Amino acid sequence: MTSPFPLRRTRRVVAGFAGLVLLASGLTACGAAAAEGGGTRVKGGTITYAHVQEPPCIFGGWIQQAYISRQVLDGLVTEDQDGSVKPWLATSWDVSPDGLTYTFTLKDGVKFTDGTPLDAAAVAYNFDQFENTDLNGTAKVSMEPYYKSAEAIDPTHVAIHLTQPYPQFLTLITQGYFGIESPTALKTRSKEENCEKPIGSGAFTVEKWKKGQEVIFKRNPNYTSWPSTAKHEGPAYVDEIKWKFVPDGVSRYASLTTGQSDVIYEVPTVNWKDAQSRFSNTIRYITPGKPVSFYLNTKAGVFTDKLVRQAFAYGADRKGAVEAGFHGVIPYEGNPSVSQSTPDYNEQAAKAYAYDPDKANQLLDQAGWKKNADGVRTKGGKPLTVKLVYGAGFIFTSEGATVLQALQEQWKKVGFDVKLVPATMAELWGGKYADPSTFDATPSYWTSPSPAILWIVWRPNTEKAPNGNNRSFYNNDQLSKVIQAANTQTDAAKASTLYQQAQQIIQDDAAGVGLYTQNTLIAVANDLKGFWVEKSQGEPIFSDAYFVK
Amino acid sequence: MTTLAPDVLAPVTPTALPARRSVRAARRAALKAASAVAVLIAAASVTFFAQLAIPGDRATIILNLQNGREQKWSSSELSPVNEKFGFDHPLLTQYLHYVGGFFKGDLGTSYTQYRPVTSVIGAQILPTLVLTVGALVVAWIFALVVTVLTVRRGRAVTGIGSSFEAFTASLPHYWVGVILLVVFAVKIPIFPVIGGDGLWGTVLPVLTLAIPLSGFLGQVTRDEFDKVLDQPFITTARARGMGDTAIRLRHALRHAVLPAITLSGWALGALISGAVIAENIYGRPGIGQVLVTAVNTRDVPTVAGIVLVVAAVYIVANLLVDLAYAAVDPRLRAS
Repeated sequence: MTSPFPLRRTRRVVAGFAGLVLLASGLTACGAAAAEGGGTRVKGGTITYAHVQEPPCIFGGWIQQAYISRQVLDGLVTEDQDGSVKPWLATSWDVSPDGLTYTFTLKDGVKFTDGTPLDAAAVAYNFDQFENTDLNGTAKVSMEPYYKSAEAIDPTHVAIHLTQPYPQFLTLITQGYFGIESPTALKTRSKEENCEKPIGSGAFTVEKWKKGQEVIFKRNPNYTSWPSTAKHEGPAYVDEIKWKFVPDGVSRYASLTTGQSDVIYEVPTVNWKDAQSRFSNTIRYITPGKPVSFYLNTKAGVFTDKLVRQAFAYGADRKGAVEAGFHGVIPYEGNPSVSQSTPDYNEQAAKAYAYDPDKANQLLDQAGWKKNADGVRTKGGKPLTVKLVYGAGFIFTSEGATVLQALQEQWKKVGFDVKLVPATMAELWGGKYADPSTFDATPSYWTSPSPAILWIVWRPNTEKAPNGNNRSFYNNDQLSKVIQAANTQTDAAKASTLYQQAQQIIQDDAAGVGLYTQNTLIAVANDLKGFWVEKSQGEPIFSDAYFVK
Repeated sequence: MTTLAPDVLAPVTPTALPARRSVRAARRAALKAASAVAVLIAAASVTFFAQLAIPGDRATIILNLQNGREQKWSSSELSPVNEKFGFDHPLLTQYLHYVGGFFKGDLGTSYTQYRPVTSVIGAQILPTLVLTVGALVVAWIFALVVTVLTVRRGRAVTGIGSSFEAFTASLPHYWVGVILLVVFAVKIPIFPVIGGDGLWGTVLPVLTLAIPLSGFLGQVTRDEFDKVLDQPFITTARARGMGDTAIRLRHALRHAVLPAITLSGWALGALISGAVIAENIYGRPGIGQVLVTAVNTRDVPTVAGIVLVVAAVYIVANLLVDLAYAAVDPRLRAS
């Protein structure tokens, strides 16, 4: 950069008003008009994107890695806005009548950016690596229950064999986790090289990763494998993306309003209204999959009693707390098992346990918990204490923590003594709170475009087949059977009924308690057009974006 | 540096004494170097074991980080990771391996980035040093200017000076950073919001760290300055007809800065830990960010490596403090 100010073109217009970042008061729409009505496309340019988390590698099983790997890796298929699965590297596919074999026809002549042909053998190799190595643990767990093998029939035909029919398979492989990498790169390069500069066939290549600062992506001029859902055919319009890591929300939003970035991720909810009035393209994407909801420990402690779990759900105005805490931007989600943007969502189940302190008191009385002078209930001399462990700073932002504090006050009124325990990433991910003896409730999310997430999360946790994701330690045979029946049901309507039944079981038993949806909040500068987020996970798409004058 | 001693003794033994003196100096230097290395190893060792003492399994967190989860893993899933990173060896073996590597300039490999720790740190140390040393220098300038201009200048001016110091010393870094950002990068867009490690982008992060520190340094300098101005030699100087400004700069200041010099050694180390806040706000690369991430991900070799570097900075800073003392205080040169 030659100038110390990466300010560009007309975006100076909005710069003067940026002082509102702290005040977040309403303002007159000033910036929006400047770029409305199209304008002419500028050739090339650099998109500066301000993201939050810096992942350890460019690809992997964390949602943050799916976002970034999408820029360099292409997938077999992609999900359209209506939820249907559309061609990408695979131009078409056939499902065998027994539902056990998916045969994909690959686009001809596609090459990885290292020159290796992207053929059936390369795809088969990637799927084999997903299943049998640590290449991508989320890809593995998404297809594992039914994956058998991958087979290259001829250079353009690859067959994936399953052990049972699994119609959700197609939807699941639209996620960024299933990006196809060059087998030559995987086999011959070091883990470090593949981590920093994975080789795909995507619209961009990793040019440089300045750790702690940014990843620079360069346009792939020979790009031929855009998805069928792309907004234009051909290589990306822009020359470069600067994918910056800006953890502080005030700075991130200020970088956009001063024109120093073109797209920002996770607009602070306090600035959302302001962003909507200034920028013509703001995106609120509600992530499908498990929402941010509480797992309740059904194996040890106070929540082994279903009545107490239900009382906990009734006992606080979760909807009100979420709306207040996130300024009405992030929606409340009453369904603990899947969020409202997930296919086969059970809307009815989501309505259960609306705030009702009387009902909560009545259930606790019924369960034998008596109110003490200090307001905390006790039973057999033991207080009704709930140890609520939450990931502070990474699962829960400070806004999220405010929601928990509001809820804590309300739970206190019905007799719960809720202890909020903020956990660091090292503690939570290091397994300090993995054991049933260490917590009573813990909130978290798991994104997925398919209700098959129910099996990943709620599969019984047994000695023989441990399931660490089932953080409620909730083993219910009936639930297990219903989800398995849904997963392998080839009739979509019947499968939907079964998935909804599974959600109902979880809700009826209060094995979890809903809170809010996981989201992607994005704002785009007015002189950048064509930016969008894809459907399966909300991965940002820069290959169709271009600047206008 | 000159002393009187060689001149006095010169006729007796013209060459032997300087030689003996240089031997002694060399021995002292060697001793200092050895103790520095010992301190470094001790720092790395304490970090190494402290990291292992924190609850949480390293293999578990590596898997959770790779997969974005918070779950428990089965032993069959954990064992390949344990084997790859050598976690299955006894702790003592792991430790000796680590310390052995230290002498070969090998600080181990990051668990999460798969890169040697030396390259992880090497890429990030310069922006942090620029930030912290810059902040120290700027803080000194602020502190000295405010002190020299306001001590004993009448009640009002003195009051303004000391209030300014008390106020800035109590400011939290994050608050200073955000206010500077909003005022000088957003309202009056002079500086970039996310400036990276460029010169222009370094100004606000440096000020973020320098302003609270300047208040702190100013406070200790002010007390000393005030006392020195009552000393007889100041009166003598005045009696000689020396002007007030000259007295302040040439006589009083020398005495007054000694406590602040002592503090600077500590401040440089403390600034490195404060750097993470400035780095976060301004999207700046640096070792603070790396340290926070590494602590969060139980990346033991990276954490230990950074602690090692910070310890080295402390050692060098204290050495510089000793030298600065000698330069400022002539009494120390004779001894």
